[in-house]
Amino acid sequence: MAPTPEPATRRVAEEIAAAFPPLLVAADRVASTVAQGVHGRRRVGQGETFWQYRQFAFGDSPRDIDWRRSARSDRLFVRQTEWEAAQSVWLWPDLTASMRYSSSRNLPEKQARAAVLSLALASLLTRGGERIALLDKPDAPATGRAALDRVAMTVMHAMAQDPETYEVPPIPALPRYGTVALISDFLVEEETLLAFLRDMAARGVRGHLLQILDPSEAHLPFRGRTRFRGLEAEGELLVGRAESLHAGYMERLGSLQASLATFTQRAGWSYGVHTTDTAPEPALLSLFMAMTEARAGG
Amino acid sequence: MLSFGALSFAVPWLLLALAALPILWWLLRAVPPAPVRVAFPAIRLLFGLPQHEETPHRTPWWLLVMRLLLAALVILALAHPIIDPGRILRGNGPLVMVIDNGWTGGANWAERQDMASALIDEAARDNRTVYIATTAQSADRNEGTLRPLSPAEARDRVRSIAPQPWAVDYASVRAQIEALELSRPATAIWLSSGLDAPGDEGAGAVAGVGAQPLELALQRLGSLRYVHPARGDQPLVISATENAADGIRVRVGRVDADGTRSAALIVSDDDGRLLGREAFTFDDGVETADVLLSMPSELRNRIARVAIEDTRHAGAVMLFDESLRRRPVGIVSGDTAQLDQPLIGNAFYLNRALEPFAEVRNGSVEELLERRLAVMILSDIGTLTETEIERLESWIADGGVLVRFAGPNLADGSDRLLPVDLRRGGRVFGGVMSWDQPSKLAAFDETSPFAGLIPSDEIIVRRQVLAQPSPQLASKTWGRLEDGTPLVTGEKRDDGWLVLFHTTANAEWSSLAFSGLYVDMLRRLVALSQGVAADSIATRPLPPLSTLDGFGRMSEPPNTSRPLPAGVGEDVTPGPQTPPGFYGLAQSRRAVNLGPSLAPQLFDAHASGVETAEYGPTLQRELRVWFLVAAFGLLLADFIISLIFRGLTPRISRAAAATAICLALAGGLLGTGATPGWAQSSDRFALEATKDTRLGYILTGDTKIDETSRAGLAGLGQILSRRTSVVPGAPIGLDVERDELAFFPLIYWPMTERQAPLSDGARGRINSFLRNGGTILFDTRDQNLSGIGGVGPGTQTLRATVEGLDIPALLEIPAGHVLTKAFYLLHEFPGRWEGGRLFVQQPDERVNDGVSSVIIGANDFASAWAIDATGRPMFPVMPGSARQRELAFRFGVNLVMYALTGNYKADQVHVDEILERLGQ
Repeated sequence: MAPTPEPATRRVAEEIAAAFPPLLVAADRVASTVAQGVHGRRRVGQGETFWQYRQFAFGDSPRDIDWRRSARSDRLFVRQTEWEAAQSVWLWPDLTASMRYSSSRNLPEKQARAAVLSLALASLLTRGGERIALLDKPDAPATGRAALDRVAMTVMHAMAQDPETYEVPPIPALPRYGTVALISDFLVEEETLLAFLRDMAARGVRGHLLQILDPSEAHLPFRGRTRFRGLEAEGELLVGRAESLHAGYMERLGSLQASLATFTQRAGWSYGVHTTDTAPEPALLSLFMAMTEARAGG
Repeated sequence: MLSFGALSFAVPWLLLALAALPILWWLLRAVPPAPVRVAFPAIRLLFGLPQHEETPHRTPWWLLVMRLLLAALVILALAHPIIDPGRILRGNGPLVMVIDNGWTGGANWAERQDMASALIDEAARDNRTVYIATTAQSADRNEGTLRPLSPAEARDRVRSIAPQPWAVDYASVRAQIEALELSRPATAIWLSSGLDAPGDEGAGAVAGVGAQPLELALQRLGSLRYVHPARGDQPLVISATENAADGIRVRVGRVDADGTRSAALIVSDDDGRLLGREAFTFDDGVETADVLLSMPSELRNRIARVAIEDTRHAGAVMLFDESLRRRPVGIVSGDTAQLDQPLIGNAFYLNRALEPFAEVRNGSVEELLERRLAVMILSDIGTLTETEIERLESWIADGGVLVRFAGPNLADGSDRLLPVDLRRGGRVFGGVMSWDQPSKLAAFDETSPFAGLIPSDEIIVRRQVLAQPSPQLASKTWGRLEDGTPLVTGEKRDDGWLVLFHTTANAEWSSLAFSGLYVDMLRRLVALSQGVAADSIATRPLPPLSTLDGFGRMSEPPNTSRPLPAGVGEDVTPGPQTPPGFYGLAQSRRAVNLGPSLAPQLFDAHASGVETAEYGPTLQRELRVWFLVAAFGLLLADFIISLIFRGLTPRISRAAAATAICLALAGGLLGTGATPGWAQSSDRFALEATKDTRLGYILTGDTKIDETSRAGLAGLGQILSRRTSVVPGAPIGLDVERDELAFFPLIYWPMTERQAPLSDGARGRINSFLRNGGTILFDTRDQNLSGIGGVGPGTQTLRATVEGLDIPALLEIPAGHVLTKAFYLLHEFPGRWEGGRLFVQQPDERVNDGVSSVIIGANDFASAWAIDATGRPMFPVMPGSARQRELAFRFGVNLVMYALTGNYKADQVHVDEILERLGQ
């Protein structure tokens, strides 16, 4: 018999449940905008659904000839089916402490944007029949609305909990040629991050990185005497004139982004940057395009 | 105490703290402003970055100065700064203060109290004992005793002193001062009124009464400082009033005669409403000013109080009782039988004309002369008895005004109590007209008491009595007709007047009684009288009603006030027991005024060694509060500047703006929220109903019947427009519970079984509609259902409905009723049915022009009138013929004509006789 949830947990669960539909609706809305622009996996491949007739060409198996169609004309036609091979995609919306930040009350927190984008991506993927799972959770990949709901619920729950503080997630036993979508601010030690990515790449995993930044992180707009405080217990920094740090900061951020771009380019991965003051749809579109293209190419 | 000129500090050692300011300066410069705290996830990227400016950001110099100033202000405030232009108290003896709190006190009481408080403050700092004496006698004897007070007690005492509305009594104060035994020479201060207090025999005549002896007594204590108001600020006093024929004369006095001085009198009534304001000026060198308050008698009679504007003491207020107000006028009428008859009796016109400005009494000569009377009017009294004549003559000699009006009785025979001899009998104009046209009035002579009045052309005189020609006739004539015949004659006898109107007081002989001139002439005559006042000697003690306080305000009489004793005449001197104010009963009260008993004189013959000064602004001012306020303001400014430096303002201002906008929106919504939708629709209804003449029908709630009513009245309207000059608009359905009925001359009300009982509001509306000339046609529509002698359902409903309505007595329509001949000649009134009876109100020419307010029929008229859109009748008539429908329409036409035009066709009742006569 399952233990009765503690009231606090249960209240949290209820709060999550209450917040769940709006977030999922937002994600769905973002996803549907993108879905209208991209015709997903409408391509020839292995599957059961009829896709098109094609003239018989050398190299085609005679088994594939559609005799009924061919009988109506002088030529032979091959029946092709739609590609239906489902793939598993592991999503990782970064929900650590550093993501719980927005520089202005008019902007969403980075983690909220990460969650929306992840769930929107999940929604798109499940519409196409892909299997989805969360990278840092033990659940096996699954497809369909139920899987989407489960992922959404898990994300919600994690958002409501105290934040985890790890820098990079543990790497589960991923199958070769699995796909991973990493949505994070990637503001961790560069070495740790690259080691983690290299490890993933070495396993033959295909990865897609989306860096989510707050505008203040992208531009460092602070001026005057300022005391900076990290969100993940990095410590504090008192600066006499914050504007004097601007050039150095932009340089460091640029080098981090450059090394990520270099890495992903070499590994055949994709990398994008998204700031929370822009609309999520373009970011989702480019991420989704990158994923489908990568698959089509492979 | 440490002093720098006028500025001194009560706690000077705290000023040492000012030495700490440089340290504060150094600290403020060394400590940088608080940093802005920012959470920042990408802090990793910031660690180790080179900072170009390591030194802390400096506080701007002006902020530094501001903060130092703030600290300095706080220190100075704690040191208790006082600004003090000059100290008054010398030595270290006690302070003896004499405060004038007599009638002049109210004028500048705040100054006196401020100065007293300032002196006590000064005494408090030196720990002096204070003695306080007041000069106006208090009703409470114990209050005035002179005893040593601590400064705190003295403060309470000063606060409790109020100016008194009576004269000062220097003698008793002097006695107290002389009894005072002090060990050290004292500082005496006299906060005076600047006036002497003369005894009854004039300034200082009685030894020890005036201001001089008191001054000497005070000077003997040590030193004396005499504080007095500036000469130009001495109070004005209303010293006398006189009721003259042309208004009320008010004499205002002043103490000094230097220069011109302007002021104004404010006249108000019992409720404090302003009746008038009269500005006046004292000429240079003149001590009194006479002001004439000329205003109509109606207003004059309402005067309860005359006061000098912007002056607050009891001497500047003159209260008026009945004596200056309505004069008693007696009316003796020869036509006692007609006394109460409106528009006919002589007394009716006289009463109506005199009531607004005089106290009118009716009765016989004997009765009237028992009380004091200013004017007596004898209307058409032929001959008086010898006793009456004698009494009247002595009354006239004492100043009475006797006004006689002519009339049939006087024309037949007169007594000697007339200004002119009258021609008897035949020469009185009667049935035989001696002039072709009734005569008009000529303009009044300059010498006449009526001079200035303008006779209207509309006044015509048809009959009058004629005077015997005599040499004095012209000089006795006050008003004449266009042909020169005297209409009003008068003569002065001793102090009184004897006046004769050669026509009647009513409208029988002339139309004078209808005109405003009549009233004006009577008013002039009443003004001629000497102003007979109410009995001025009180016959019994008069309890105080409401009294003036020291500021000239009406208030409840104080507990210490006593009734005015019986037998006191005009000259009551107000005092502690009898403060100025009203005494007696509310209906017949007696005013006691302070002004007449005052004879103020300046006191400026001071003994040598007496220091004099004028009241001025407060001597000392505590500055601590102002220093603290300034420091607080700087603190606020510093707080706001800090917020700006930390970048916190935008959010605050945005939140504030949002709040303000929300509040403004909410306010706007609330303000515009109460749109009077109902009132609008009601206005629209009234407009619709009155744009045309419209017929109304009562909505019964039964759609079919309502539609029939509407179609019926519309059909009737078509017939009316076609055949008569009445062009009614479309009929309007009325909800009797909600709509105003007053706009409709005729309302059709069909009875249905579903008629709900009326609410009280609807009943009231219908009653007022019927009372004010509306007509309702009740249609029981049950002629087909009621058997012979039986009662139909509609009739039963009607009975239930009209319960509680003002339905007059009804009768079946008599032959020759106006309704049978208002337009068509009719003998029957069919509707859809035939033969029903029609009931109307009993004709009464005096009410509503004889129009019956209620008409009840049973023939279902609307169904007979109803026509559809194509112009064809909607219902068949029973038993049915074109003739019946035509007659139904004719009844409708007659009905509308009757409702609109009233009874003028009633004359046709006599048309047969008239035609017959004309034929002769």
